[in-house]
Amino acid sequence: MSDIGGVDLFVLEFGDILHYFTPYSLTLFIFALIFTVLVIVARPERQLDIVFGGDAYYAKKTPISERQFRRFMAIACGLASMGAMASGDIFNYTLFVSMVGITNVGIVAAVKSRHVLNAAYEYGIVAMVGTLPLFGGAALILGTTGTLSIPALATGGYAVPLVAKILLALGVTGEGMAPFYAAKAEMFRAPGAPYVIMCSLSSLLIFLRVVEIVITI
Amino acid sequence: MILTYSIGLFVAFAVTGIAFFALMRETDGLHRLLLTDLVEVVTLAFIALVGTDLAEALILPGLVVGTSELIALSEIYRVKEGFNRPPSDGLQIEVMETAPPILAALLVGYGIILSGFSGGAVAGLGVIFYFLSRDHHERFEVIETASGYSWVIWIFAFFTFMIFPERWFFAVMLAGSAILVKVMAKMSIIGTMRGGPNV
Repeated sequence: MSDIGGVDLFVLEFGDILHYFTPYSLTLFIFALIFTVLVIVARPERQLDIVFGGDAYYAKKTPISERQFRRFMAIACGLASMGAMASGDIFNYTLFVSMVGITNVGIVAAVKSRHVLNAAYEYGIVAMVGTLPLFGGAALILGTTGTLSIPALATGGYAVPLVAKILLALGVTGEGMAPFYAAKAEMFRAPGAPYVIMCSLSSLLIFLRVVEIVITI
Repeated sequence: MILTYSIGLFVAFAVTGIAFFALMRETDGLHRLLLTDLVEVVTLAFIALVGTDLAEALILPGLVVGTSELIALSEIYRVKEGFNRPPSDGLQIEVMETAPPILAALLVGYGIILSGFSGGAVAGLGVIFYFLSRDHHERFEVIETASGYSWVIWIFAFFTFMIFPERWFFAVMLAGSAILVKVMAKMSIIGTMRGGPNV
């Protein structure tokens, strides 16, 4: 493949379904790997609330059960991001992306705060609606070209409809929420720094990857 | 492009428009959750429209993703609204006392005839209905044991495929009946999800 991803460094074939690394996707994969290791080893931050008009502050403590659940979700999110970086099959990619969407909701949903839960609920509904363009785009690509393999589509000879590419990018946006953060700042009231950062990082990674896919195919 | 596919795509896009319009208009949290399920169905329709064996294989992960998101969101909704008390009793209607055994028996019987994955789904539906309308203080160990053994039979059938390919019919029968029991056992648990003491 001669495209923005660079030359193939590694290809693991299972027939038509394959996994591959280009310098581009390998960089993103290593990012996800580093952050997953960080999430595993790091202790969560202790959020401080300053009392107005005084010198006092509250130190919020994360209960151990909540921390375990959020750490598990963050690790799952990292693994799903890594899978999305390495996958060479569009449908596998969309499945990993929707798993990133679910785990992103899970990371914030364990916090027992009404504001956070409300935001997580709205976020989850957008993520769920996002599966429609995501799978719809993948199904349109399969229906019009007959293959889902990214390298096969990249060799040319296939006319991938523009609407399918748009749907795919829209779906990843819906799952990863990249532009919706600003509206959902409530979500980041959730304490626990490394876990919440995993939300942002994973959505950045899947978005960068879909850009590569859409340009390549 | 095949005409049927284009018509199907057109209908799917129209339903998408309706679903999104409904989501835009609706403000109640629970109703919006239900409407997202409508969107999920259209997603599956998009995949099903391709109509090949591959599309059939892709529907299952799509369904699993949709269901898991729905379950996760329902759990968030429950915690958010503070619904902690399990519902007390099932529906107190006379027909719920008499109909379940007949309907469940019909569905399970038809499921066994179908066999395989779809048979398991049909039979599981019967068992869900039975558990939903009846008391569910049943012996779950039996169901779990049956599920475990059927899993072993399923794996055994796969090894038969690989090692003795000439015995393929025997392996197909084994795998078909094992997956029937396994899917049915898994689905029947849904019928008991009422927050009772056993679950």
